[in-house]
Amino acid sequence: MRIVVDLNRCQGYAQCVFLAPEVFELHGEEALMYDPAVPDGQLERVARAVAACPVGAVLAGERAGPGGG
Amino acid sequence: MSPQTLFRRITDYAHRADPYPLYAELRANGVVRQEDGSYLVGTYDEVAALLHDPRLSSDRRNRTEPDQRPLPVRDDLPPSFIGLDDPEHDRLRRLTMRSFGPPHSPGTVDALHTGITAIADELAGALHGRDRIDIVDDFAYPLPVTVICRLLGVPAGDVPRVRAWTTAIIAALDFAPEQDPEPLQEAALAAQREMAGYLGSLAEGRRGGPSGDMLSALVNDDGPEGTLTGPELMSTAVLLLIAGHETTVNLIANGALTLLRHPDLLVRLREAPELVPQAVEELLRYEPPVQFLPQRTPLTDIEVAGVTVPRGAPLVLVLASANRDPLRFPDPDRFDPMREHNQHLGFGGGAHSCFGAPLARIETQIALNALLPRLEGFRLAEDPPPYRRSPVLRGPRRLPVVRG
Repeated sequence: MRIVVDLNRCQGYAQCVFLAPEVFELHGEEALMYDPAVPDGQLERVARAVAACPVGAVLAGERAGPGGG
Repeated sequence: MSPQTLFRRITDYAHRADPYPLYAELRANGVVRQEDGSYLVGTYDEVAALLHDPRLSSDRRNRTEPDQRPLPVRDDLPPSFIGLDDPEHDRLRRLTMRSFGPPHSPGTVDALHTGITAIADELAGALHGRDRIDIVDDFAYPLPVTVICRLLGVPAGDVPRVRAWTTAIIAALDFAPEQDPEPLQEAALAAQREMAGYLGSLAEGRRGGPSGDMLSALVNDDGPEGTLTGPELMSTAVLLLIAGHETTVNLIANGALTLLRHPDLLVRLREAPELVPQAVEELLRYEPPVQFLPQRTPLTDIEVAGVTVPRGAPLVLVLASANRDPLRFPDPDRFDPMREHNQHLGFGGGAHSCFGAPLARIETQIALNALLPRLEGFRLAEDPPPYRRSPVLRGPRRLPVVRG
């Protein structure tokens, strides 16, 4: 599965980093880095991160764009 | 009824089981000065904007209107970061975050998953064969209190003391007009002092000998910004311990109650646990454990929805009302675990957004996954259940369910 973070929406709440720390990473206090190709072992954690984002900035699967699923 | 009495009616215990019609009235009336001098805001756009407004203070010392029910003022300890503004708030919060989350400790909450699941499974297992369960006492309370004590490094044997102190402190936050506030406030102050001293000495005992828990990290961590002073550590530890379980108890209990009222959805979530994270977000919208933020104060006259709120006046942000605003959420009074674009304000927002949100999220997800299979064949013994007194930290006092 692929993911995209809409960095225009991201406000640095970092819920994704808490919930899927191997996929999302905070550089310094606010810059978010992430792996757009989610390994199978991380799917459950990424689903929790998608649900938790307070601004709906983490898009997964079809919502991450064409071929995203 | 008069819009000036809304706050009194919201805090009246008679409306605790269902405050939502009052919130609808609040949204319809707009921002109105209350008889006690406070202002209530309950529409989504306004609450969301005010959560990010640097002209609002979280420090009650900026109030010019006297509080109807002033919080106990501690003579011996500084306020914790929930009651401070930036830059002090930011400094203390970042120092505390170093042992709880990113960027310094990104894996802390994820690493708790296995331990929380074990505790939840054990509590749920003990319900086997019972004909009557109190979901609060048997499950929703012991889970978060065990988790936060373990995370902070508070010995399990001391949980009864933690419970007694917390009860005394929370009681002073409650609005009970028929009660004399003074004895409550004195008891709360004494409990705060004892709890702070207890946590401070636990931390002190670990100085120089890190033991992997947060109290130990707070006392030993020496980052680029230094470390918390002794009194700062005590205030912070009291905040983490109380806020770290008090609200989650209500979230789990509100969740169980809501699902027992929607048996079709209870079955659906039991059969499809992958829907649970989204369902927890919907619970945070639909029945948030923190109903409103009572301690904001404008630092200058500000305009909210066409009304001037004067500097120093208590400005109450009603999160639970914003979460039911039909201008933001279609069909807002419907509990819909599949709801899209659910940017609820259950954890507040902005600089003071809930510090423990990721922990509360996974605890509640794990709790519901463990509890729901045990509720097969059970129904609510009382609906509505008896509620706790607080209009702010709202949740059932007991949640009895019986077979049949």
